[in-house]
Amino acid sequence: MTGVQIWTRLKTNRGGLAGLSILVVFLLLALGVWLGWLGQDWSRAPGGRWEPAGSRFWFGTNVVGQDIFQRSMYSVRTAFEIGLLVSLVSTLLGAALGALAGWYHRSWVDRSILWLKGVLDSIPFYLFVAAVAFALEGYPWAMHVAMIATFWTSTARLVRAEVMKIKGREFVLAARAIGLPDGLTLQRHVLPNTSHILLVQASLSFVAAIKTEVVLSFLGLGVKDGVSWGLMLAESTQEVLAGHFNNFLAATLMLFTLLLGFNLLVDALQDAFDPKQVTR
Amino acid sequence: MRSVLRKVVDGLLLIMGVTFISFLLMVHFGPDQTYTLIGKNASAEQIAQVHRELGYDRPFASRYAGYVTDLFTLDLGRSNSSGERVTRILQKTVPVSLALMLPGFVIGNLLGIALGLLAAHRRGQLSDRIITGLAVTGMSFSFLIVIIALQVLLSTPYGLDLFPVRGWRVDGLLSYLHFVTVPTLSLVIVTLGYNTRFYRAVFVEESGRDHILAARAFGASPGALMWKHVLKNSLVPITTRVLFSIPLVVVSGSLLMESYFGIPGIGKVTFDAIQNGDQPVLKAVVGLTAVAFVLIQLLTDMLYKLFDPRLREA
Repeated sequence: MTGVQIWTRLKTNRGGLAGLSILVVFLLLALGVWLGWLGQDWSRAPGGRWEPAGSRFWFGTNVVGQDIFQRSMYSVRTAFEIGLLVSLVSTLLGAALGALAGWYHRSWVDRSILWLKGVLDSIPFYLFVAAVAFALEGYPWAMHVAMIATFWTSTARLVRAEVMKIKGREFVLAARAIGLPDGLTLQRHVLPNTSHILLVQASLSFVAAIKTEVVLSFLGLGVKDGVSWGLMLAESTQEVLAGHFNNFLAATLMLFTLLLGFNLLVDALQDAFDPKQVTR
Repeated sequence: MRSVLRKVVDGLLLIMGVTFISFLLMVHFGPDQTYTLIGKNASAEQIAQVHRELGYDRPFASRYAGYVTDLFTLDLGRSNSSGERVTRILQKTVPVSLALMLPGFVIGNLLGIALGLLAAHRRGQLSDRIITGLAVTGMSFSFLIVIIALQVLLSTPYGLDLFPVRGWRVDGLLSYLHFVTVPTLSLVIVTLGYNTRFYRAVFVEESGRDHILAARAFGASPGALMWKHVLKNSLVPITTRVLFSIPLVVVSGSLLMESYFGIPGIGKVTFDAIQNGDQPVLKAVVGLTAVAFVLIQLLTDMLYKLFDPRLREA
Protein backbone atom coordinates (compact mmCIF):
# COMPACT_ATOMS: atom_id res chain seq x y z
CA MET A 1 0.00 0.00 0.00
CA THR A 2 1.36 3.39 -0.88
CA GLY A 3 1.44 6.45 1.33
CA VAL A 4 -1.35 8.10 -0.66
CA GLN A 5 -3.64 5.10 -0.28
CA ILE A 6 -3.02 4.96 3.46
CA TRP A 7 -3.77 8.65 3.75
CA THR A 8 -7.05 8.37 1.79
CA ARG A 9 -8.29 5.73 4.17
CA LEU A 10 -6.89 7.41 7.27
CA LYS A 11 -8.48 10.79 6.63
CA THR A 12 -12.00 9.34 6.78
CA ASN A 13 -11.29 8.00 10.27
CA ARG A 14 -12.05 10.64 12.90
CA GLY A 15 -10.20 8.83 15.69
CA GLY A 16 -7.12 8.48 13.49
CA LEU A 17 -7.11 12.16 12.62
CA ALA A 18 -7.50 13.11 16.28
CA GLY A 19 -4.57 10.84 17.14
CA LEU A 20 -2.45 12.30 14.37
CA SER A 21 -3.20 15.87 15.52
CA ILE A 22 -2.19 15.00 19.09
CA LEU A 23 1.10 13.56 17.81
CA VAL A 24 1.80 16.66 15.71
CA VAL A 25 1.23 18.93 18.73
CA PHE A 26 3.56 16.83 20.87
CA LEU A 27 6.16 16.72 18.11
CA LEU A 28 6.06 20.52 17.94
CA LEU A 29 6.52 20.69 21.73
CA ALA A 30 9.48 18.32 21.46
CA LEU A 31 10.97 20.46 18.68
CA GLY A 32 10.47 23.51 20.89
CA VAL A 33 12.50 21.86 23.64
CA TRP A 34 15.21 20.69 21.22
CA LEU A 35 15.55 24.19 19.78
CA GLY A 36 15.80 25.64 23.29
CA TRP A 37 12.51 27.58 23.32
CA LEU A 38 10.65 25.54 25.90
CA GLY A 39 11.24 23.85 29.24
CA GLN A 40 14.90 24.90 29.52
CA ASP A 41 14.58 25.78 33.23
CA TRP A 42 13.44 22.33 34.30
CA SER A 43 16.25 21.82 36.81
CA ARG A 44 16.32 25.28 38.42
CA ALA A 45 14.34 25.78 41.61
CA PRO A 46 13.04 29.37 41.56
CA GLY A 47 9.94 28.84 43.73
CA GLY A 48 9.04 27.68 47.20
CA ARG A 49 8.02 24.21 48.21
CA TRP A 50 4.72 22.97 46.67
CA GLU A 51 3.52 26.36 45.45
CA PRO A 52 0.01 26.18 43.98
CA ALA A 53 -0.66 26.63 40.28
CA GLY A 54 -0.80 30.31 39.27
CA SER A 55 0.36 32.87 36.75
CA ARG A 56 4.05 32.45 37.71
CA PHE A 57 4.11 28.68 37.88
CA TRP A 58 1.35 27.38 35.60
CA PHE A 59 1.28 23.92 37.14
CA GLY A 60 2.72 24.90 40.56
CA THR A 61 6.04 23.70 41.99
CA ASN A 62 7.32 20.43 43.43
CA VAL A 63 8.93 19.60 46.78
CA VAL A 64 12.17 21.47 46.02
CA GLY A 65 10.46 24.40 44.29
CA GLN A 66 11.05 23.37 40.69
CA ASP A 67 8.53 24.57 38.10
CA ILE A 68 6.30 21.60 37.21
CA PHE A 69 5.26 23.14 33.89
CA GLN A 70 8.89 23.43 32.76
CA ARG A 71 9.54 19.86 33.86
CA SER A 72 6.53 18.41 32.07
CA MET A 73 7.51 20.25 28.86
CA TYR A 74 11.12 19.07 28.95
CA SER A 75 9.80 15.54 29.48
CA VAL A 76 8.18 15.64 26.02
CA ARG A 77 11.69 15.65 24.61
CA THR A 78 12.77 12.79 26.89
CA ALA A 79 9.72 10.76 25.84
CA PHE A 80 10.42 11.29 22.13
CA GLU A 81 14.10 10.46 22.51
CA ILE A 82 13.32 7.17 24.25
CA GLY A 83 10.33 6.34 22.06
CA LEU A 84 11.95 7.15 18.70
CA LEU A 85 15.24 5.40 19.43
CA VAL A 86 13.68 2.26 20.88
CA SER A 87 10.91 1.92 18.31
CA LEU A 88 13.20 2.60 15.35
CA VAL A 89 15.99 0.21 16.33
CA SER A 90 13.74 -2.56 17.64
CA THR A 91 11.48 -2.44 14.57
CA LEU A 92 14.43 -2.54 12.17
CA LEU A 93 16.04 -5.37 14.11
CA GLY A 94 12.75 -7.27 14.17
CA ALA A 95 12.24 -6.69 10.44
CA ALA A 96 15.72 -7.94 9.59
CA LEU A 97 15.64 -11.03 11.78
CA GLY A 98 12.00 -11.80 10.92
CA ALA A 99 12.70 -11.52 7.19
CA LEU A 100 15.74 -13.82 7.46
CA ALA A 101 13.78 -16.38 9.47
CA GLY A 102 10.84 -16.30 7.06
CA TRP A 103 12.99 -16.41 3.92
CA TYR A 104 15.17 -19.29 5.14
CA HIS A 105 12.14 -20.97 6.70
CA ARG A 106 12.96 -24.28 8.51
CA SER A 107 16.71 -23.84 8.03
CA TRP A 108 19.17 -23.43 10.88
CA VAL A 109 18.88 -19.63 10.49
CA ASP A 110 15.14 -19.79 11.15
CA ARG A 111 15.63 -22.20 14.03
CA SER A 112 18.27 -20.07 15.76
CA ILE A 113 16.23 -16.88 15.43
CA LEU A 114 13.13 -18.62 16.78
CA TRP A 115 15.19 -20.05 19.62
CA LEU A 116 16.55 -16.62 20.54
CA LYS A 117 13.04 -15.17 20.42
CA GLY A 118 11.72 -18.01 22.60
CA VAL A 119 14.49 -17.48 25.14
CA LEU A 120 13.92 -13.73 25.38
CA ASP A 121 10.15 -14.22 25.63
CA SER A 122 10.58 -16.70 28.50
CA ILE A 123 12.44 -14.32 30.81
CA PRO A 124 10.01 -12.13 32.77
CA PHE A 125 10.34 -8.73 31.17
CA TYR A 126 11.01 -6.43 34.13
CA LEU A 127 13.49 -8.90 35.58
CA PHE A 128 15.37 -8.92 32.29
CA VAL A 129 15.41 -5.13 32.15
CA ALA A 130 16.48 -4.90 35.77
CA ALA A 131 19.26 -7.42 35.14
CA VAL A 132 20.50 -5.52 32.07
CA ALA A 133 20.32 -2.25 33.94
CA PHE A 134 22.45 -3.58 36.80
CA ALA A 135 24.83 -5.42 34.46
CA LEU A 136 25.42 -2.17 32.56
CA GLU A 137 25.46 -0.03 35.67
CA GLY A 138 26.54 3.56 35.14
CA TYR A 139 25.91 3.22 31.42
CA PRO A 140 23.10 5.66 30.46
CA TRP A 141 21.71 3.52 27.62
CA ALA A 142 21.06 0.41 29.74
CA MET A 143 17.30 0.97 29.71
CA HIS A 144 17.21 1.44 25.91
CA VAL A 145 19.34 -1.65 25.29
CA ALA A 146 17.06 -3.78 27.46
CA MET A 147 13.91 -2.56 25.71
CA ILE A 148 15.35 -3.05 22.22
CA ALA A 149 16.60 -6.51 23.13
CA THR A 150 13.09 -7.61 24.05
CA PHE A 151 10.78 -5.52 21.82
CA TRP A 152 12.05 -6.84 18.48
CA THR A 153 10.57 -10.30 19.01
CA SER A 154 6.93 -9.44 18.27
CA THR A 155 7.87 -7.56 15.08
CA ALA A 156 10.04 -10.48 14.01
CA ARG A 157 7.20 -12.97 14.54
CA LEU A 158 4.79 -10.95 12.34
CA VAL A 159 7.36 -10.20 9.63
CA ARG A 160 8.46 -13.84 9.52
CA ALA A 161 4.88 -15.01 8.91
CA GLU A 162 4.33 -12.34 6.24
CA VAL A 163 7.60 -13.11 4.44
CA MET A 164 6.72 -16.81 4.36
CA LYS A 165 3.46 -15.85 2.64
CA ILE A 166 5.06 -13.41 0.18
CA LYS A 167 7.88 -15.81 -0.69
CA GLY A 168 5.52 -18.02 -2.68
CA ARG A 169 3.94 -15.18 -4.67
CA GLU A 170 4.55 -14.91 -8.44
CA PHE A 171 6.54 -11.66 -8.44
CA VAL A 172 9.02 -13.13 -5.96
CA LEU A 173 9.30 -16.35 -7.95
CA ALA A 174 9.85 -14.25 -11.06
CA ALA A 175 12.60 -12.24 -9.37
CA ARG A 176 14.31 -15.45 -8.31
CA ALA A 177 13.81 -17.03 -11.74
CA ILE A 178 15.71 -14.25 -13.47
CA GLY A 179 18.54 -14.83 -11.02
CA LEU A 180 18.24 -11.89 -8.65
CA PRO A 181 20.35 -12.65 -5.55
CA ASP A 182 18.43 -13.48 -2.36
CA GLY A 183 19.55 -10.32 -0.58
CA LEU A 184 18.30 -8.04 -3.35
CA THR A 185 15.01 -9.90 -3.73
CA LEU A 186 14.38 -9.55 -0.01
CA GLN A 187 15.32 -5.92 0.03
CA ARG A 188 13.50 -4.78 -3.12
CA HIS A 189 10.50 -7.07 -3.41
CA VAL A 190 9.74 -8.66 -0.08
CA LEU A 191 10.50 -6.18 2.71
CA PRO A 192 8.60 -3.24 1.11
CA ASN A 193 5.50 -5.43 1.27
CA THR A 194 5.81 -5.71 5.04
CA SER A 195 5.86 -1.93 5.57
CA HIS A 196 2.30 -1.86 6.94
CA ILE A 197 3.33 -4.26 9.72
CA LEU A 198 6.42 -2.21 10.44
CA LEU A 199 4.50 1.06 10.73
CA VAL A 200 2.03 -0.39 13.24
CA GLN A 201 4.78 -2.19 15.16
CA ALA A 202 6.89 0.96 15.37
CA SER A 203 3.95 2.87 16.85
CA LEU A 204 3.22 0.07 19.30
CA SER A 205 6.87 -0.06 20.41
CA PHE A 206 6.84 3.70 20.92
CA VAL A 207 3.88 3.31 23.31
CA ALA A 208 5.49 0.34 25.03
CA ALA A 209 8.80 2.19 25.43
CA ILE A 210 7.20 5.22 27.09
CA LYS A 211 5.09 3.03 29.37
CA THR A 212 8.10 0.92 30.34
CA GLU A 213 10.14 4.04 31.08
CA VAL A 214 7.55 5.05 33.70
CA VAL A 215 7.80 1.74 35.54
CA LEU A 216 11.59 1.64 35.29
CA SER A 217 11.96 5.20 36.54
CA PHE A 218 9.76 4.30 39.51
CA LEU A 219 12.00 1.31 40.24
CA GLY A 220 15.08 3.57 39.97
CA LEU A 221 16.32 1.94 36.75
CA GLY A 222 15.06 4.50 34.26
CA VAL A 223 16.12 8.00 33.21
CA LYS A 224 19.31 9.08 34.99
CA ASP A 225 20.09 12.57 33.67
CA GLY A 226 17.20 14.85 32.94
CA VAL A 227 13.55 14.57 33.78
CA SER A 228 10.72 12.43 32.48
CA TRP A 229 7.05 11.88 33.23
CA GLY A 230 8.09 8.61 34.84
CA LEU A 231 10.42 10.45 37.25
CA MET A 232 7.69 13.01 37.98
CA LEU A 233 5.23 10.21 38.76
CA ALA A 234 7.83 8.48 40.92
CA GLU A 235 8.27 11.76 42.87
CA SER A 236 4.54 12.13 43.18
CA THR A 237 4.01 8.73 44.86
CA GLN A 238 5.06 10.31 48.17
CA GLU A 239 3.50 13.73 47.49
CA VAL A 240 -0.04 12.47 46.84
CA LEU A 241 -0.16 10.93 50.31
CA ALA A 242 0.45 14.43 51.70
CA GLY A 243 -2.22 15.93 49.45
CA HIS A 244 -0.02 17.55 46.75
CA PHE A 245 -1.36 16.47 43.38
CA ASN A 246 0.20 18.92 40.87
CA ASN A 247 3.13 16.72 39.87
CA PHE A 248 0.88 13.69 39.49
CA LEU A 249 -1.80 15.52 37.49
CA ALA A 250 0.65 17.25 35.14
CA ALA A 251 2.57 14.06 34.32
CA THR A 252 -0.65 12.03 34.00
CA LEU A 253 -2.25 14.53 31.64
CA MET A 254 0.77 14.72 29.34
CA LEU A 255 1.50 10.99 29.35
CA PHE A 256 -2.13 9.98 28.87
CA THR A 257 -2.69 12.41 25.98
CA LEU A 258 0.41 11.29 24.08
CA LEU A 259 -0.37 7.58 24.56
CA LEU A 260 -4.01 8.14 23.57
CA GLY A 261 -2.82 9.87 20.40
CA PHE A 262 -0.65 6.89 19.51
CA ASN A 263 -3.31 4.33 20.35
CA LEU A 264 -5.92 6.14 18.23
CA LEU A 265 -3.46 6.30 15.34
CA VAL A 266 -2.54 2.62 15.63
CA ASP A 267 -6.24 1.75 15.64
CA ALA A 268 -6.86 3.78 12.51
CA LEU A 269 -3.79 2.36 10.77
CA GLN A 270 -4.87 -1.20 11.52
CA ASP A 271 -8.29 -0.40 10.06
CA ALA A 272 -6.73 1.17 6.98
CA PHE A 273 -4.44 -1.82 6.38
CA ASP A 274 -7.10 -4.42 6.96
CA PRO A 275 -8.99 -5.12 3.76
CA LYS A 276 -11.55 -7.28 5.54
CA GLN A 277 -12.11 -4.57 8.13
CA VAL A 278 -12.01 -7.15 10.91
CA THR A 279 -11.22 -4.63 13.59
CA ARG A 280 -13.97 -2.24 12.52
CA MET B 1 5.65 -39.84 19.67
CA ARG B 2 8.33 -38.19 17.57
CA SER B 3 6.61 -34.85 17.90
CA VAL B 4 6.58 -35.17 21.71
CA LEU B 5 10.29 -35.98 21.70
CA ARG B 6 10.95 -33.00 19.47
CA LYS B 7 8.98 -30.75 21.90
CA VAL B 8 11.03 -32.02 24.83
CA VAL B 9 14.32 -31.36 23.01
CA ASP B 10 13.11 -27.86 22.04
CA GLY B 11 12.12 -27.29 25.64
CA LEU B 12 15.54 -28.32 26.93
CA LEU B 13 17.26 -26.04 24.41
CA LEU B 14 15.04 -23.19 25.56
CA ILE B 15 15.86 -23.82 29.22
CA MET B 16 19.57 -23.87 28.36
CA GLY B 17 19.20 -20.53 26.58
CA VAL B 18 17.29 -18.87 29.39
CA THR B 19 19.66 -20.09 32.07
CA PHE B 20 22.68 -19.07 29.98
CA ILE B 21 21.46 -15.53 29.31
CA SER B 22 20.30 -15.01 32.87
CA PHE B 23 23.58 -16.42 34.18
CA LEU B 24 25.59 -14.14 31.90
CA LEU B 25 23.63 -11.04 32.89
CA MET B 26 22.90 -11.61 36.54
CA VAL B 27 25.93 -13.56 37.69
CA HIS B 28 28.81 -12.84 35.32
CA PHE B 29 28.08 -9.13 34.82
CA GLY B 30 26.01 -8.76 37.98
CA PRO B 31 26.97 -6.90 41.16
CA ASP B 32 29.89 -8.20 43.24
CA GLN B 33 28.78 -9.17 46.73
CA THR B 34 32.19 -9.39 48.34
CA TYR B 35 32.25 -6.00 50.02
CA THR B 36 28.61 -5.99 51.11
CA LEU B 37 29.31 -9.22 52.98
CA ILE B 38 32.57 -8.39 54.75
CA GLY B 39 32.82 -4.61 54.68
CA LYS B 40 35.22 -2.23 52.97
CA ASN B 41 38.39 -2.90 54.93
CA ALA B 42 38.79 -6.62 54.45
CA SER B 43 42.12 -8.41 54.35
CA ALA B 44 43.28 -10.20 51.23
CA GLU B 45 42.63 -13.56 52.89
CA GLN B 46 39.06 -12.67 53.81
CA ILE B 47 38.41 -11.52 50.26
CA ALA B 48 39.86 -14.72 48.86
CA GLN B 49 37.73 -16.76 51.24
CA VAL B 50 34.49 -14.99 50.28
CA HIS B 51 35.40 -15.33 46.63
CA ARG B 52 35.84 -19.05 47.16
CA GLU B 53 32.53 -19.37 49.01
CA LEU B 54 30.62 -17.45 46.36
CA GLY B 55 32.45 -19.23 43.56
CA TYR B 56 33.94 -16.01 42.12
CA ASP B 57 37.35 -17.65 41.73
CA ARG B 58 36.12 -20.45 39.46
CA PRO B 59 36.17 -20.13 35.66
CA PHE B 60 32.98 -19.12 33.84
CA ALA B 61 32.27 -22.53 32.31
CA SER B 62 32.56 -24.42 35.59
CA ARG B 63 30.30 -21.92 37.37
CA TYR B 64 27.70 -22.20 34.64
CA ALA B 65 27.84 -26.00 34.73
CA GLY B 66 27.35 -25.89 38.49
CA TYR B 67 24.40 -23.55 38.05
CA VAL B 68 22.62 -25.87 35.62
CA THR B 69 23.35 -28.98 37.72
CA ASP B 70 21.93 -27.29 40.84
CA LEU B 71 18.82 -26.35 38.92
CA PHE B 72 18.13 -29.82 37.56
CA THR B 73 18.79 -31.55 40.88
CA LEU B 74 16.62 -28.90 42.60
CA ASP B 75 19.51 -28.17 44.96
CA LEU B 76 18.73 -24.48 45.30
CA GLY B 77 20.96 -23.74 48.27
CA ARG B 78 20.73 -20.74 50.60
CA SER B 79 20.36 -17.04 49.94
CA ASN B 80 23.68 -15.18 50.09
CA SER B 81 22.17 -12.20 51.87
CA SER B 82 19.87 -13.70 54.48
CA GLY B 83 21.24 -17.25 54.71
CA GLU B 84 17.71 -18.57 54.42
CA ARG B 85 17.05 -21.68 52.33
CA VAL B 86 15.89 -20.67 48.85
CA THR B 87 13.14 -23.31 48.84
CA ARG B 88 11.89 -21.77 52.09
CA ILE B 89 11.91 -18.27 50.56
CA LEU B 90 9.94 -19.53 47.57
CA GLN B 91 7.44 -21.30 49.84
CA LYS B 92 6.88 -18.06 51.72
CA THR B 93 6.68 -15.62 48.81
CA VAL B 94 5.08 -17.45 45.86
CA PRO B 95 1.72 -17.96 47.63
CA VAL B 96 1.66 -14.24 48.54
CA SER B 97 2.23 -13.24 44.91
CA LEU B 98 -0.40 -15.68 43.69
CA ALA B 99 -2.92 -14.42 46.25
CA LEU B 100 -2.10 -10.87 45.19
CA MET B 101 -2.24 -11.31 41.41
CA LEU B 102 -4.67 -14.15 40.76
CA PRO B 103 -8.00 -12.39 41.53
CA GLY B 104 -7.15 -9.46 39.24
CA PHE B 105 -5.81 -11.79 36.55
CA VAL B 106 -8.95 -13.96 36.54
CA ILE B 107 -11.41 -11.05 36.72
CA GLY B 108 -9.49 -9.11 34.06
CA ASN B 109 -9.63 -12.03 31.62
CA LEU B 110 -13.25 -12.99 32.31
CA LEU B 111 -14.44 -9.38 31.97
CA GLY B 112 -12.33 -9.02 28.82
CA ILE B 113 -13.93 -12.12 27.29
CA ALA B 114 -17.43 -10.92 28.27
CA LEU B 115 -16.91 -7.41 26.88
CA GLY B 116 -15.19 -8.81 23.80
CA LEU B 117 -18.14 -11.12 23.11
CA LEU B 118 -20.61 -8.28 23.60
CA ALA B 119 -18.68 -5.94 21.31
CA ALA B 120 -18.23 -8.60 18.63
CA HIS B 121 -21.93 -9.47 18.88
CA ARG B 122 -22.98 -5.82 18.47
CA ARG B 123 -20.24 -5.10 15.96
CA GLY B 124 -20.48 -1.60 14.49
CA GLN B 125 -23.28 -0.55 16.82
CA LEU B 126 -23.12 2.04 19.57
CA SER B 127 -22.28 -0.41 22.37
CA ASP B 128 -19.38 -1.79 20.32
CA ARG B 129 -18.04 1.68 19.70
CA ILE B 130 -18.33 2.60 23.39
CA ILE B 131 -16.51 -0.58 24.45
CA THR B 132 -13.68 -0.21 21.91
CA GLY B 133 -13.39 3.50 22.75
CA LEU B 134 -13.07 2.73 26.45
CA ALA B 135 -10.56 -0.02 25.68
CA VAL B 136 -8.31 2.40 23.77
CA THR B 137 -8.63 4.91 26.61
CA GLY B 138 -7.73 2.24 29.17
CA MET B 139 -4.70 1.20 27.14
CA SER B 140 -3.40 4.76 27.33
CA PHE B 141 -3.07 4.79 31.13
CA SER B 142 0.25 3.79 32.61
CA PHE B 143 0.20 1.11 35.32
CA LEU B 144 1.76 3.52 37.79
CA ILE B 145 -0.89 6.19 37.13
CA VAL B 146 -3.70 3.73 37.78
CA ILE B 147 -2.13 2.54 41.02
CA ILE B 148 -1.52 6.06 42.34
CA ALA B 149 -5.01 7.26 41.35
CA LEU B 150 -6.77 4.29 42.94
CA GLN B 151 -4.65 4.60 46.05
CA VAL B 152 -5.60 8.27 46.43
CA LEU B 153 -9.28 7.59 45.71
CA LEU B 154 -9.69 4.50 47.89
CA SER B 155 -7.01 4.58 50.57
CA THR B 156 -6.39 8.21 51.59
CA PRO B 157 -8.41 10.88 53.39
CA TYR B 158 -8.55 12.72 50.03
CA GLY B 159 -10.84 9.98 48.75
CA LEU B 160 -12.95 7.29 50.41
CA ASP B 161 -10.20 6.16 52.82
CA LEU B 162 -11.54 2.58 52.94
CA PHE B 163 -8.43 0.49 52.40
CA PRO B 164 -4.86 0.45 53.75
CA VAL B 165 -2.32 2.60 51.88
CA ARG B 166 0.23 -0.22 51.72
CA GLY B 167 1.32 -3.47 53.34
CA TRP B 168 0.11 -7.05 53.61
CA ARG B 169 -0.95 -8.44 57.00
CA VAL B 170 -3.34 -11.18 55.98
CA ASP B 171 -4.80 -13.57 58.58
CA GLY B 172 -8.22 -14.44 57.23
CA LEU B 173 -10.70 -13.68 54.50
CA LEU B 174 -11.64 -10.22 55.75
CA SER B 175 -8.08 -8.92 56.06
CA TYR B 176 -7.27 -10.55 52.70
CA LEU B 177 -10.07 -8.58 51.01
CA HIS B 178 -8.92 -5.50 52.88
CA PHE B 179 -5.40 -5.66 51.41
CA VAL B 180 -6.09 -7.22 48.02
CA THR B 181 -8.87 -4.94 46.74
CA VAL B 182 -6.83 -1.95 45.56
CA PRO B 183 -4.13 -4.06 43.81
CA THR B 184 -6.83 -6.21 42.19
CA LEU B 185 -8.74 -3.20 40.89
CA SER B 186 -5.54 -1.67 39.47
CA LEU B 187 -4.61 -4.89 37.70
CA VAL B 188 -8.11 -5.25 36.22
CA ILE B 189 -8.16 -1.66 34.97
CA VAL B 190 -4.67 -1.88 33.47
CA THR B 191 -5.25 -5.18 31.65
CA LEU B 192 -8.93 -4.85 30.72
CA GLY B 193 -8.38 -2.60 27.69
CA TYR B 194 -5.79 -4.94 26.16
CA ASN B 195 -7.81 -8.06 26.99
CA THR B 196 -11.06 -6.69 25.57
CA ARG B 197 -9.44 -5.63 22.32
CA PHE B 198 -7.64 -8.92 21.91
CA TYR B 199 -10.70 -11.06 22.61
CA ARG B 200 -12.95 -8.87 20.46
CA ALA B 201 -10.62 -9.29 17.48
CA VAL B 202 -10.58 -13.08 18.04
CA PHE B 203 -14.38 -13.26 18.21
CA VAL B 204 -14.93 -10.97 15.22
CA GLU B 205 -12.57 -13.07 13.13
CA GLU B 206 -14.26 -16.27 14.26
CA SER B 207 -17.80 -15.01 13.59
CA GLY B 208 -16.85 -14.21 10.00
CA ARG B 209 -16.11 -17.86 9.20
CA ASP B 210 -18.19 -19.84 6.75
CA HIS B 211 -19.78 -22.26 9.20
CA ILE B 212 -20.99 -19.38 11.39
CA LEU B 213 -22.42 -17.55 8.36
CA ALA B 214 -24.12 -20.80 7.30
CA ALA B 215 -25.59 -21.34 10.77
CA ARG B 216 -26.84 -17.78 10.76
CA ALA B 217 -28.40 -18.24 7.33
CA PHE B 218 -30.25 -21.27 8.66
CA GLY B 219 -31.70 -19.08 11.40
CA ALA B 220 -29.67 -19.98 14.52
CA SER B 221 -30.29 -17.39 17.22
CA PRO B 222 -27.45 -14.85 17.38
CA GLY B 223 -26.95 -15.27 21.13
CA ALA B 224 -26.66 -19.05 20.98
CA LEU B 225 -24.38 -18.69 17.96
CA MET B 226 -21.97 -16.45 19.89
CA TRP B 227 -22.01 -18.69 22.93
CA LYS B 228 -21.95 -22.13 21.36
CA HIS B 229 -19.98 -21.67 18.17
CA VAL B 230 -17.89 -18.53 18.35
CA LEU B 231 -16.73 -18.82 21.96
CA LYS B 232 -16.09 -22.55 21.72
CA ASN B 233 -14.09 -22.24 18.52
CA SER B 234 -12.04 -19.42 20.00
CA LEU B 235 -10.81 -21.53 22.89
CA VAL B 236 -7.41 -22.10 21.25
CA PRO B 237 -6.31 -18.44 21.14
CA ILE B 238 -7.91 -17.80 24.54
CA THR B 239 -5.98 -20.67 26.16
CA THR B 240 -2.74 -19.51 24.57
CA ARG B 241 -3.10 -15.98 25.84
CA VAL B 242 -4.15 -16.98 29.35
CA LEU B 243 -1.53 -19.69 29.88
CA PHE B 244 1.36 -17.75 28.43
CA SER B 245 0.66 -14.68 30.51
CA ILE B 246 0.64 -16.56 33.83
CA PRO B 247 4.41 -16.66 34.51
CA LEU B 248 4.88 -13.10 33.28
CA VAL B 249 1.97 -11.69 35.25
CA VAL B 250 2.97 -13.48 38.42
CA VAL B 251 6.65 -12.50 38.31
CA SER B 252 6.82 -9.29 36.24
CA GLY B 253 3.46 -7.80 37.14
CA SER B 254 3.85 -8.51 40.81
CA LEU B 255 7.22 -6.75 40.85
CA LEU B 256 5.71 -3.28 40.39
CA MET B 257 2.71 -4.01 42.57
CA GLU B 258 4.81 -5.48 45.37
CA SER B 259 7.40 -2.69 45.34
CA TYR B 260 4.65 -0.09 45.34
CA PHE B 261 2.50 -1.57 48.09
CA GLY B 262 5.42 -3.04 50.04
CA ILE B 263 4.17 -6.61 49.78
CA PRO B 264 6.68 -9.43 50.46
CA GLY B 265 6.11 -11.54 47.33
CA ILE B 266 8.33 -13.23 44.77
CA GLY B 267 8.61 -10.14 42.53
CA LYS B 268 10.01 -8.00 45.32
CA VAL B 269 12.38 -10.74 46.50
CA THR B 270 13.72 -11.21 42.98
CA PHE B 271 14.17 -7.49 42.42
CA ASP B 272 16.10 -7.21 45.68
CA ALA B 273 18.17 -10.22 44.65
CA ILE B 274 19.11 -8.55 41.35
CA GLN B 275 20.04 -5.42 43.25
CA ASN B 276 22.24 -7.30 45.75
CA GLY B 277 23.60 -9.90 43.37
CA ASP B 278 22.04 -12.70 45.44
CA GLN B 279 22.79 -15.49 42.99
CA PRO B 280 21.08 -18.50 44.59
CA VAL B 281 17.73 -16.66 44.67
CA LEU B 282 18.07 -15.44 41.07
CA LYS B 283 19.13 -18.88 39.93
CA ALA B 284 15.99 -20.41 41.37
CA VAL B 285 13.51 -17.77 40.15
CA VAL B 286 14.78 -17.46 36.60
CA GLY B 287 15.39 -21.17 36.19
CA LEU B 288 11.98 -22.15 37.54
CA THR B 289 10.18 -19.54 35.38
CA ALA B 290 11.89 -20.95 32.31
CA VAL B 291 10.90 -24.48 33.29
CA ALA B 292 7.33 -23.30 33.91
CA PHE B 293 7.28 -21.72 30.44
CA VAL B 294 8.38 -24.91 28.76
CA LEU B 295 5.84 -26.97 30.71
CA ILE B 296 3.13 -24.49 29.73
CA GLN B 297 4.12 -24.85 26.10
CA LEU B 298 3.74 -28.61 26.33
CA LEU B 299 0.44 -28.17 28.17
CA THR B 300 -1.02 -25.77 25.59
CA ASP B 301 -0.08 -28.22 22.88
CA MET B 302 -2.06 -30.94 24.64
CA LEU B 303 -5.01 -28.62 25.27
CA TYR B 304 -5.09 -27.59 21.59
CA LYS B 305 -5.55 -31.20 20.65
CA LEU B 306 -8.31 -31.55 23.22
CA PHE B 307 -10.20 -28.51 21.90
CA ASP B 308 -9.56 -29.03 18.21
CA PRO B 309 -9.75 -32.63 16.92
CA ARG B 310 -8.24 -31.53 13.60
CA LEU B 311 -4.91 -30.96 15.33
CA ARG B 312 -4.76 -34.52 16.68
CA GLU B 313 -3.60 -36.11 13.46
CA ALA B 314 -0.73 -33.73 12.85
